[in-house]
This record gives sequence, structure tokens and C-alpha cells, in this order.
Amino acid sequence: MAPRGGLAGRLWSPNSVDSGRLAEKCLTGAVGTVEMLLARLEGRRSLKEIEPHLFADEDSPVQGDILEFHGAEGTGKTEMLYHLTARCILPKSEGGLDLEVLFIDTDYHFDMLRLVTILEHRLSQSSEERIKHCLGRLFLVSCSSSTQLLLTLHALEAMLCSHPALCILILDSLSAFYWTDRVNGGESVSSQEAVQRRCAQVLERLAREYRLVLFTTTQSIMQKAWTSPEGPSATTQRPSKQDVDYRPYLCKAWQQVVKQRVFFSKQEDSQSCRQFLLVSHHPKSNTSKKHSFVIGESGVEFR
Amino acid sequence: MGMLRAGLCPGLTEEMVQLLRSHRIKTVVDLASADLEEVAQKCGLSYKALVALKRVLLAQFAAFPLNGADLYEELKTSTAILSTGIGSLDKLLDAGLYTGEVTEIVGGPGSGKTQVCLCVAAHVAHSLHQNVLYIDSNGGLTASRLLQLLQCRTRDEEEQAGALRRIQVAHAFDIFQMLDRLHDLRGAVAQQVSGSSGTVKVVIVDSVTAVVSPLLGGQQREGLALMMQLARELKTLARDLGIAVMVTNHITRDRDSGRLKPALGRSWSFVPSTRVLLDSIEGAGTAGRSQRMACLTKSPRQPTGLQEVVDIRTWGTSEQGAALQEEQT
Repeated sequence: MAPRGGLAGRLWSPNSVDSGRLAEKCLTGAVGTVEMLLARLEGRRSLKEIEPHLFADEDSPVQGDILEFHGAEGTGKTEMLYHLTARCILPKSEGGLDLEVLFIDTDYHFDMLRLVTILEHRLSQSSEERIKHCLGRLFLVSCSSSTQLLLTLHALEAMLCSHPALCILILDSLSAFYWTDRVNGGESVSSQEAVQRRCAQVLERLAREYRLVLFTTTQSIMQKAWTSPEGPSATTQRPSKQDVDYRPYLCKAWQQVVKQRVFFSKQEDSQSCRQFLLVSHHPKSNTSKKHSFVIGESGVEFR
Repeated sequence: MGMLRAGLCPGLTEEMVQLLRSHRIKTVVDLASADLEEVAQKCGLSYKALVALKRVLLAQFAAFPLNGADLYEELKTSTAILSTGIGSLDKLLDAGLYTGEVTEIVGGPGSGKTQVCLCVAAHVAHSLHQNVLYIDSNGGLTASRLLQLLQCRTRDEEEQAGALRRIQVAHAFDIFQMLDRLHDLRGAVAQQVSGSSGTVKVVIVDSVTAVVSPLLGGQQREGLALMMQLARELKTLARDLGIAVMVTNHITRDRDSGRLKPALGRSWSFVPSTRVLLDSIEGAGTAGRSQRMACLTKSPRQPTGLQEVVDIRTWGTSEQGAALQEEQT
């Protein structure tokens, strides 16, 4: 291929193998211009400001990171997702990041009216037009089974190519099909986990190749006691130094790709029962940080 | 879903299916995750044909992303808030039952869950003129009680009869019957059967514990999977058909802490969007025996911990009942 200067030349250089393959995939599979592609590959607006309270500078999510929000029901995981979504889709003039977000909803949990309420409180002048303009940056997909989730993730590649500003992927929640998969998958645990494993692999590949940040929630559905009838028969030891109730039950492939795990819990406070606690844990460096927040009309507010 | 076969989508011929099967690509998922260049080389099919096939299959089986602004427009017109007919309960629920959501009423025996359901059914059928599907799984529904509630609202027998006609009752004493009833509802709405099923706006399930708790316990996974299937049915029904779903659940004691919690375990606890706990009031004495404390324990839009006192004796009848009393005197 004759060397062309400038943008195209950078694209086909032998050093950037990933970008070359990526470009080929996009150009054969979907509509996309070279400029759009490079807008994604080059540095975009940094995601460090996505939530300054939650992500201190050294561990803010960078492109390609996968974060897991884990907790029991009513602990604020979905509210935190709305908060992050609102931060991303609001325009820069209102304190947002002007980015596009793709929200994958697996259990019909997504409450559009709640998100609109949060946006209304955060916009300086909330009018229907401005809210719809913000919502134009949000894309919502609903999946009804784990195989449909897997196929949807495969089909997302076309969409990711054509939307360079789409760099946040939210999945609420990954564990929604857990019991259905365990029953439909056959006799051995590994065949039951097969679809989950593939989903984890595809998510990791999408996050890495398309430079996305993935936030996903997993529900805490296993009971604390080791003799619980719901839990799997072979359980891993809960790390005793953490004061969180975490029993991993998703497949190993998923546990390995998670870069940061955030545990949510409700604070049993006699003064205000609305206070929530989150513990942010990095499995690789084994560090933890605690934050507390309340949920008000305008969403999550950190203390 | 998922086995490749001829005619599944345009362009998929029997010979292609056989060729792919001989290289261990049997389902749609296999094809979507395979490396198409390799497959093209091994099977002797053209790469472009495989790419086109994959695109068609994904378009057919994968979910399609919707834009937030479009979805908001749609929801603005289709979401309705249905008052329950009980003022204090409406305050907790932020004006009433929202369509598209599952609301759970939790309480011990005798706390008034069935009375709430009957009151809501009577109110929606009579004052809001909407159809109600009442799925009864523990025999708590009696038509005479419904009639009593309606008689407190109106003296006109025609109106009472009309309201009773709008309440469809279905009995389901195990989970398969319940899933069948929900399936029937979907079918009836899909065919747009005129008359009763046309505008079902509220589905009441009293109670969901009666059909699910026999399945739980022990090391069986099937029970939990069936429970999650029921949960998914209820939620998709609420979303797709614009229905407000109300379910009742019992309470049990937590093994470790001894506190009361809703039954059916942690997996079910994620299913409803709103949960109201009914409890009797301690030390209320004989006068307060019909009073209950309703506490909001989960809500997507109100702070939890709100409490209101409700009186069973006058449930739903206080406003209308007082008006009729005045008429008589």
C-alpha cells in the first residue's frame, strides 16, 4: 500500500496492529469514516473527572477499565449509575462531560422518569428541549436472556464504530440471568457458566479495543452463612480483612477482568436512614477506600 | 433460540448450515463469536457472504438500542399513575401505582395485604373505569367483599355491576398455572379481544409467596430459576403492556440477625421497584385494632422510611362513605 501522509499513514503503520485490525473490522462491517475512528483512538476528553469524589486521581477509570458495583438491594447501585450517566450526558456548560452512554438493561429496571428528575435538578434551566438534548446522548438496550445479551454485545461493534463519543458502557445488571443459566446450562458448572464466560470475554474485548469504560452491577444474591441453601456448594473464602459481605458467584473469567470492585451497603444509622456506604476495592493492588453518600432528589450526593 | 437451520434468515441455505455444522458452528452464538476469516477458509464459503449472514442474524436476534430522547417521549404518553383509593397509601407511593413497575405489599398474616388488594381492585374498577386482572393464589378473594367495598362507593346497582364486570378473577395455585394466566393475558391483549381484556391496567397477584415458596429450599436450582422466570414475566408485562403490577408477599425472620424481612430471599428482593411493609400497631388497644402502619421500605423516587397509619375499617370508604352518610341523613 502506498504510504499516505497524515491520518491514513498513522492508521496503517505496522506498530499499531490493534488499530489496523480495528479499522478493518469497522470498515468492512459498518459505516464509519477514518476520522471518526481516530477521534476514538486518540486521546479524548479525560474521564478522570467522571466522579472526583469516588475516583481519586490515581485510580480514576481509564479507557479499557471494568468496574463492578456489588451490593444487596436498595443500597444505591442503580442510583450511582444514574448519577454517572447524568454526569456524562450533561453538556460541559452544566458541569457534565458531553459524552454518549450506552445503557444495557437486563432486568427491566431502568427508570427513565427518575433519570429525568435527576437531570432536571442538575440543569441550571431545565426545559424539555434541554432534557431531550441530553437524553439524545443516551442509548438504551433491553435484553431478555443471556444469549440475547451475548448477541447484543456482538452487534454493538457496529454501533461503537459509528459513535466515537460513545465511551461509557453501563450494564445493569450482569447477574440477572444467573439462576436461569444455571438451570438451562446442563449438568456441569462450567457448561452452565459458558454463556457468562463468553459475555465476560466479549465485554473485556470491547472495553479494550474500543477504549470504553464499563460499569456493571452485580447483585448480592448469596446469603452470608456457609450452609445457605442458595449458595454454590464450593465457595471461596470471604476475605476476612474486608468488612464487606462479598461472596463471588460469577465465573472466574469475569472476576479476573474486573479492575475495581465497589461494594455498596446501607448504613444502619439511627439519625438518618438514608446514608449509604461504599467501599472501593482494587483486587490487583489490594487497596480499599471508603466513601459515604446520601441520595437526594437530585441523585447521589457525596459527604 | 439459536440453532442454525435453513430458512432461519434470508440467505441461509441447507448446504451452508451443513457446512457450518461440520466445523462445529451450530448455533447463532457460535457464528457470532467465530472468526469469520477462519471459517471462510475452512468451509469454503465466501467471507462476504458470512459477514452478511452474521449481520442479518444479529439484526434479527440481538436487541436494538433505542435513543433516550425517543424513549422519554414514548414514556411520557404511556406512563400513568393509578391512585389506590387509599389516601395514606397514595402518599407513600407518590400518588399511586405507576404503570410499568412492580409494587410489592409485604406483611405478616392478618396485616391487611388482601384487603389492600381488594380495595385497589374496587377503586380502579369503579372510580378509574379500568380493567383489573386479579390472580388469586390463596383463596382470599371473595366477591361479596368486593361488592361490599363497591356498595360503600355507590348506591347505583348498575354501576356496581359494571365495576364487578371489570374485575377479572383468575385462580392459580401453582407457578405453572400462574405463568399460564399471565401468558393468556398477553395473548388476549395481542389479539385485541374486545371487551374485558382490552384495557387491563392493573394486575394484582395475591400472593406470590404461595406459589413460589414451595419451590425454594434445598439444593434445587430449578425453583429459583422458575421464580426468576415469573419475575421476568411480571416485569415484561408491566413494561410492554403499560400495566401496573401489584404483588403481595409474606415476611420471614432473618436467620442471623432475627429481623423481619420479606420472604422469597435475596434474588426476589431485587424484583419490585417499590415495597410497602404493613404492620400492626403496638399498644393500639381495641380502638386501634383495625389500624395498620404502612412503611415504605423501597422506592425509586421517595426516601425510604416514610410511615403512614391506615385504618382497614374505613379503607377506601372514608371519602365516599362519609359522602354517602351525609346523603342519608
